Amino acid sequence: MKFTIPQEENMHPGHLACPGCGGALAMRLALKALGKKTMVVLPACCWSIINGPFPYSAVKVPLFHTAFETAGSVSSGIKAALDILGKKDITVLAWAGDGGTFDIGLQALSAAAERNDDFIYVCYDNEAYMNTGIQRSSATPWGAWSSTTPAAKEEPKKNIMDIMVAHRIPYAATASVSYPDDFIRKLKRAKDIKGTRFIHALVCCPTGWKCSSEISIKLTRLAVQSGIFPLYEVENGLKYTLNKPQQISPDNKLIRSYLGAQGRFANLSEKDTKKIVADIKSEWLRLLNKIEGNICIKQ
Amino acid sequence: MKQVFQLPPWAISTESTLYNKTGSWRNYRPVYRNRIPPCNNACPSGEKIQQYIDILNQEEGLYKAWKLLTQDNPFPAVCGRVCFHPCENSCNRSDYDEPINIHTIERFIGDIGLNEGFKWRLPRVNKKYKIAIIGAGPAGLSCAYHLRRRGYQSTIFEADNKLGGLLSQGIPSYRLPQDIVQAEIARIIKSDVKIHSNTAIGNEYDFDKLLKEYKTVFIAIGAHKEKKLGIPGAEHPSVIPALEFLYQLCAGKRVKIGQRVGIIGGGNSALDAARSVLRLGKKPIVIYRRTENEMPAILDEIQEAKEEQIEFVFLAAPERIIIRNNKIVSLECIKMKLGQADKTGRRQPIPIKGSDFKVGVDTIIPAIGEEVDTSFIPGSFLKVLDDTVSTNYEGVFAGGDAVTGPKTVVDAIGAGKKAAHLIHCYLRQVCLPVGASEKPVVFEDLNTAYFEHETRIPSGKLPLSSRLKTFAEVYQGYEKPQLKQECSRCFSCGVCNKCDNCFVFCPDMSVNKRAGKYEFDYDYCKGCGVCVLECPRNAIGLVQEER
Ligand SMILES: Cc1cc2nc3c(=O)[nH]c(=O)nc-3n(C[C@H](O)[C@H](O)[C@H](O)COP(=O)(O)OP(=O)(O)OC[C@H]3O[C@@H](n4cnc5c(N)ncnc54)[C@H](O)[C@@H]3O)c2cc1C
Ligand SMILES: Cc1ncc(C[n+]2csc(CCOP(=O)(O)OP(=O)(O)O)c2C)c(N)n1
Ligand code: SF4
Ligand code: SF4
Ligand code: SF4
Ligand SMILES: [Mg+2]
Repeated sequence: MKFTIPQEENMHPGHLACPGCGGALAMRLALKALGKKTMVVLPACCWSIINGPFPYSAVKVPLFHTAFETAGSVSSGIKAALDILGKKDITVLAWAGDGGTFDIGLQALSAAAERNDDFIYVCYDNEAYMNTGIQRSSATPWGAWSSTTPAAKEEPKKNIMDIMVAHRIPYAATASVSYPDDFIRKLKRAKDIKGTRFIHALVCCPTGWKCSSEISIKLTRLAVQSGIFPLYEVENGLKYTLNKPQQISPDNKLIRSYLGAQGRFANLSEKDTKKIVADIKSEWLRLLNKIEGNICIKQ
Repeated sequence: MKQVFQLPPWAISTESTLYNKTGSWRNYRPVYRNRIPPCNNACPSGEKIQQYIDILNQEEGLYKAWKLLTQDNPFPAVCGRVCFHPCENSCNRSDYDEPINIHTIERFIGDIGLNEGFKWRLPRVNKKYKIAIIGAGPAGLSCAYHLRRRGYQSTIFEADNKLGGLLSQGIPSYRLPQDIVQAEIARIIKSDVKIHSNTAIGNEYDFDKLLKEYKTVFIAIGAHKEKKLGIPGAEHPSVIPALEFLYQLCAGKRVKIGQRVGIIGGGNSALDAARSVLRLGKKPIVIYRRTENEMPAILDEIQEAKEEQIEFVFLAAPERIIIRNNKIVSLECIKMKLGQADKTGRRQPIPIKGSDFKVGVDTIIPAIGEEVDTSFIPGSFLKVLDDTVSTNYEGVFAGGDAVTGPKTVVDAIGAGKKAAHLIHCYLRQVCLPVGASEKPVVFEDLNTAYFEHETRIPSGKLPLSSRLKTFAEVYQGYEKPQLKQECSRCFSCGVCNKCDNCFVFCPDMSVNKRAGKYEFDYDYCKGCGVCVLECPRNAIGLVQEER
């Protein structure tokens, strides 16, 4: 099997991401999919650093650094300005971390989504505030170590997809750099839709997850395979489609090998692991129910 | 100085991050390397299997594939039909679903070579050296071919009138059609190899004379002396040794056999004799001392004999032949049980006292093994030094069944190739290594996330009904679409096949593709190792940077 991804390269090497950064690869693939006519809106996050210090930039498209909580509102504004200038063919891409999305940026994002403002919002979710030293966010999974949850986080991960789907936006999808063909297809699909489009991409941060850099892609692949992070799309907040279903089997062994490879889960007891496995399985069933629900809307 | 209103509203980057050579961060460096695929490693003639399959996958043409294959083995059409294919036994794909059908791919390439008349481009012959080869079986012919590839002409002395050894004196045509054998042999001979057939060394031509005349000799006489059955009644004319029976059939002669034929043994000769008897319209019964599991015959052939509903009597050994009115009426056997494993790992049969029973037969074909007949050679030339094909006499080499005892076609071809190599070293007084000794790729080295499960494509096969009464070939091989499909299953273990994964997954754009080749950009590569792990075939290694 061979991936057919666009040859066009819209990113430079020399950027400041850690070795094996899934977030860096995510941007590379996204810009391949969206092409040169893209403007990136970037709230404070690792990518603020990755892109390089002034006067340098790692991307070949305009990228606007903005405040931590403002990805949604600044994107709305830039899109409005482009409309006024008559520049209709430019895609606005909000690119935010999980902290900037699940936590501090949620208001701005929700407001923009409610207005169905016309931009793509990608949350590259590395499951903590990595830029500032691995503090927990509401995207950090239950049981994970972080510098502010030195034993383990006691609250479950917030389900951002459910929140965004509840806005009935035209397109919401999960995506993974471990499935580049699917990742690129989703960004291309999003590009062709008008309104607020949301993509939730789980990416490995070897530094924060405390794992070796070479397994970065393997881990997010395992997340998909094990049902921890299933790939799916939701249209208009209603129609669910599961992607790569033949890849997914939420089983004990896969979940354990995902957890076992990461230092941030080193403190888990057997009981904790069992709880995680059970939670993942029930979340998976909940997702399957939503997909079943498609039948109701068709009638 | 600029006025405030002349400046842009905020700072704008004007340069790229290319200034920042992140290669200096690296502790480990990824390197492209090709490793040894286990299939190649297992082939006794050293075929580059992965590579010719890749040539087909990249659609670089059948001629290129044939040329590469025949660099190592001049008998692809023969081996594609009768080889035991140890390559398939070690194919990494077996651990995933089913091994690649290598021999059927090989057969396709071999047949195309014959049909299209593909030719080798060989160097000019250097007549300075005189080399004799005794025996025109696969070992002798392979040696002649590999010598020819190195620019040496050899002279083959063959006792029989036909060339090919057991390929044309033993293996029946329903497995190996004679026109195929003779066509592949003719290609070798035409490349300027001298032949003296009907010339047995020892009878027609003295060994000492040969040695004086040629100085360099390769002995490849096979193992043709039948072991004696050694039971009462064994001298009866209706006891026909398997090799003799098969030899007559191969020569197109009719052999007189009765209605019920007892075949004693469990090797290829036994099964070939049984299946030939069946095709002559008579009833074969195979009597074997051990069980099916211990049968030394090639697995496919056991399978086919069973499909053809050949009767087997396992765990039985012949005791004596019962003759009435000068005719064989039955074979008395004793029941056996399996005891301890011997040093070859096979469990030894032990007779069970008083368990005698009779099998009603009127003809008996013993196929209990063959030995090497070296009676024509003065002294003991065939004392072969360890694993090599050199003997204890200078300038004399030996290989194939003559050294190993009855083995396989491809082992003989491999021995001929090795002999050619050593003869070259001997004549030029150079010492060249025989082959690589690196560890082949194992299944655990692969990243199977990129492989889908696909069933092995079987070779076309004659239906059972139309194969019982004729000597027509059972297997029919592939058509082009099947060839393509089967080749696409190959993992290409250890060897880059340009799947692009390293290029796709690098977060640092440090994999460059130039003219169909991949290169690391060490100016920027941070040594994360992602490419190493995501290469499905372990064609990238990680080495520590020197400090
Ligand atoms: C019935 C049968 C079926 C078999 N089926 C298979 C199979 O399916 N797959 C497989 O891999 N192997 C099979 N084998 C084994 C295989 O045929 C042999 O291992 C192989 O042919 C050995 O090659 P060789 O060149 O060493 O010897 P041979 O093929 O035996 O050739 C030796 C040659 O030397 C000649 N010779 C002998 N003495 C002299 C002399 N003094 N002077 C001149 N010439 C001489 C002989 O006439 C013969 O032509 C089978 C064997 C038999 C008997
Ligand atoms: C209002 C405000 N609070 C805090 C910060 C400091 N800050 C910058 S980035 C960041 C964390 C970003 O986390 P996340 O969005 O998950 O992105 P990541 O760094 O993990 O890529 C924080 C807390 C800030 N820039 N602005
Ligand atoms: S998968 Fe291909 S390269 Fe690997 S062992 Fe099998 S035939 Fe050889
Ligand atoms: S993935 Fe890229 S950065 Fe990482 S080791 Fe390979 S070439 Fe270097
Ligand atoms: S990942 Fe693919 S392209 Fe890269 S070295 Fe391995 S086989 Fe070749
Ligand atoms: Mg984060």
